[in-house]
Amino acid sequence: MTKKENFLKGIFSENPLFVSVLGMCPSLAVTTSLENALGMGIGVFFVLVLSNFTVSLIMSNPKLAELVKPVRIPVYIVVIATLVTIVEMLMHAYLIDLYNSLGVFLPLIVVNCIILGRAEAFASNNKPVDSVIDGIGMALGFTSALVIISVFREFLGKGTITVWGNAVIHLESIFDFLHMEPMGLFVQPAGAFLSFGLILAALVAIGNKRKENKAKGVATNG
Amino acid sequence: MNGGLKSGLVLLILGIISGTLLAVVNSLTAPKIEEIEQNIVYESLENFYDLDNYVITEENIESDGLDTIYILTNKSDDQIGALIYLVSAAGYNGDVTMLIAINNDYSVEGYTIVSQKENPPINDDFVHHDYNVTDITNLNDFDAIAGATYTSTAIRDCFIIISDRVVSDFGGGLND
Repeated sequence: MTKKENFLKGIFSENPLFVSVLGMCPSLAVTTSLENALGMGIGVFFVLVLSNFTVSLIMSNPKLAELVKPVRIPVYIVVIATLVTIVEMLMHAYLIDLYNSLGVFLPLIVVNCIILGRAEAFASNNKPVDSVIDGIGMALGFTSALVIISVFREFLGKGTITVWGNAVIHLESIFDFLHMEPMGLFVQPAGAFLSFGLILAALVAIGNKRKENKAKGVATNG
Repeated sequence: MNGGLKSGLVLLILGIISGTLLAVVNSLTAPKIEEIEQNIVYESLENFYDLDNYVITEENIESDGLDTIYILTNKSDDQIGALIYLVSAAGYNGDVTMLIAINNDYSVEGYTIVSQKENPPINDDFVHHDYNVTDITNLNDFDAIAGATYTSTAIRDCFIIISDRVVSDFGGGLND
């Protein structure tokens, strides 16, 4: 696998949220606004890239890997928990509104399946540089999925898109034009599942259509 | 050396490195966090009273959930006009910290939630709810709320902590 393929797989073919369906709990909870989604994405990016790098660095040393192997899961957890705590402290100090908004889901990054999964499935068997590229790709894939869900939910639920702080895009006029009110359900927990299901269905339909076209092309050429 | 022991030692060393790293980051962020919390408290105090009319002194208590009492002494007659308590109690996901302002007739001037860790989507309901407490010595009409992932138990506990000591505090208990 080339470095480019390694990077792109996290965004498209192995997207953690839309393909592997991992890390659902915090993803659905925080996607009530674009700002929350970006904040969570930044946190996960920092933790995933550095945890992949650290785990790969430890496991790429054969002697150290031999010692760590029986206690590798506790080792991963210590590494990830340390990084998450650092993110939490930095966010508390410098991004207080976002810190309050993400609430309990920020420390819960420790048990996010994506991070532990990449540490065990990829970083422990690959070189540090490849692991960092994998981490960047996966984190960007995760963040873009959060962004899509949050924009969908916030637009339909509130008629606005909160980019960051006071930077809010007001799209209520679209609802006015359609003589409708924003559908508050979409920013509620039930709306999270509904949005995720609709987006996933659309993506699967697009994927199937592409496969169908590809198959037709192969048949025509053949 | 036994293999298991060696692995344990590696884990211990990793734990020490992590602890040291966290201590360093904490030493950098802690003053900033304290400054932010102090600003939130002072902004809230200004919402309750015109601070130009009072002399503010701080009493650090740090017991039974109580952190600090801000004593507002009238500049005109040198009497305690109000006490503002910074108090915490255990909530659903962590401590809920409140600022509760009590006048010298035990009426509640106002209260605000300084920090809390209840789940994000329901934050607003929890923070902005009117808990119907007008007299700190009478909590019978406290309007409790609860949902799937939150309760107002911590808020009630904060009021109880104040209620248990407010009479004594206004009666000179703070000087003891």
